[in-house]
Amino acid sequence: MRDVLRIEDLVLKFRGYTGVTEVLHGISLNIRAGERVALVGESGSGKSVTARIVLGQLQELRSAQVQGGLYFEEQDLNRLSRRQWHALRGTHMSMIFQDPTSSLNPVFTIGVQFTEVLRRRDPKLSKEAAAKRAGELLNSVSIHDHARVLNAYPFQLSGGMNQRVAIAMALANHPSLLIADEPGTALDVTVQAQTLHLMHDLVERTGTAVLFISHNLGVVREFADRIYVIYRGRIVEQGPTQAVFENPRHAYTRALMAAVPRITGGGVPEIQDMDGAFFDPLEVHGEDRP
Amino acid sequence: MTPLLSLKNVSKTFGHGDHIVQAVRDVSFDVMPGECLAVVGESGSGKTTLANMILGVFGQSSGELWFDGKPLPTRRTLEHRSAIQLVQQNPLSSLNPKRSVGASVRLGLDVYGIGSPSDRWSLVEAALEEVGLPRDFRKRPPAALSGGQRQRVAIARALACQSRLVVLDEPTSALDVLVQARVLRLLNDLRAAKGLSYVFITHDLSVVRNVADRVAVFKSGQLVECAETGAIFENPREDYTRQLIGAVPVVTREEIELRNTLATEGQT
Repeated sequence: MRDVLRIEDLVLKFRGYTGVTEVLHGISLNIRAGERVALVGESGSGKSVTARIVLGQLQELRSAQVQGGLYFEEQDLNRLSRRQWHALRGTHMSMIFQDPTSSLNPVFTIGVQFTEVLRRRDPKLSKEAAAKRAGELLNSVSIHDHARVLNAYPFQLSGGMNQRVAIAMALANHPSLLIADEPGTALDVTVQAQTLHLMHDLVERTGTAVLFISHNLGVVREFADRIYVIYRGRIVEQGPTQAVFENPRHAYTRALMAAVPRITGGGVPEIQDMDGAFFDPLEVHGEDRP
Repeated sequence: MTPLLSLKNVSKTFGHGDHIVQAVRDVSFDVMPGECLAVVGESGSGKTTLANMILGVFGQSSGELWFDGKPLPTRRTLEHRSAIQLVQQNPLSSLNPKRSVGASVRLGLDVYGIGSPSDRWSLVEAALEEVGLPRDFRKRPPAALSGGQRQRVAIARALACQSRLVVLDEPTSALDVLVQARVLRLLNDLRAAKGLSYVFITHDLSVVRNVADRVAVFKSGQLVECAETGAIFENPREDYTRQLIGAVPVVTREEIELRNTLATEGQT
């Protein structure tokens, strides 16, 4: 099957006052059409910067140096002009952020922001047609009082509602890749569960591939088909979700799983301090790692 | 045994006229000395309002609060204020960025007059050591610390002033799982060592399962269920509690089974 996204040996460095810091040490991953892939790791491991690189936003930063292959639907992203890359965002690839109340613009109503998104694909779309289309999209995320929501400002809606609006907007132009950066973290557990279910069904129906970024292993288990575990800018383990959860092979993955408190009880897990084995390459991938 | 904290028919309303919001309705429960009571519920269920009343940020609209066998006035004495302390959710914003870590911890000691002024720095250092931070961290600004370390400072600050009851408002939800496990372990150890009581506010039921003795489930300001932790998870009485447990993202197969059995029981 064809890859929607392929990242090859991606290296990211930041130039700062104290010299150059390497943040990603050569990560490779691929996402096939319609596949839900999760990138799991702690804060600071390089999850979100990877997403920003795919969107082409970090490359615009003067202090960032990005090297490595980026292929989106068989086109080499590195060869695109800024303008071409800009045209891809919001149409062929889109993103959902962690905190919906701050990712939506507070000074425009939802309706205005929806029209803007829809006009990225079809600039001549009339206001009425946009409103109609927005209504259909809101239906798909189980929001049924369209008129109220479209005329509301983001701060007038609840967090869960805003996140559903953000999901509808992200999928409005039928992107082939959706990047979801911790989409449930800012919501409380019940709302998070509802939102993720909804998103799961929706991407399944539209056949959208998803790069799901999260630190929550439980959420990942329910959402993803395949996972990559990232630790300090290196991918330490990858595989189908079921296999990785049933039989984690890398020391870091095991520690990450052991650290999650269980609802079946058993007390607070005991965690060893930074284990040297976290840096050990996994034997199966030993040959392609330094 | 007299409960350390006890709430008797406590209610809180905000606003007036047509815009009344009843944030907490007729809530009664006890917290025993050395006990960890978890308060769970969705956002907007009144958890934080409850915490603010216990801390004395504002008074209750009706009902009574008792602390250690005596009524707790809305206007708190220094003694009450030092005995009931708070650890907040986000350590990035709960520490003053312009104060060194040590100065933040010391402030409480100065205000409550704990120890003689010349001893206070050593009390601060002892408090930092208790939460597993090196003594010389006292001179660092919060910006030089990681999220987990900052949360440890917030805990040290709450404990340094000889508190007996600590209100933990989502103390680990801003932390990564590995850090969360360490902070939870620290909280457990400190409670056992010092005989503290916790009111542990959270919406993460997997954390509750492993740290709390009893659980109080809140829904739109009301206490819908309050029982021992084991009973809540193995045999919840309320559908709402079932829903909350069902929403927890889980990792192992046993957990998925537990959730499924709860879900099927709920339907019958």
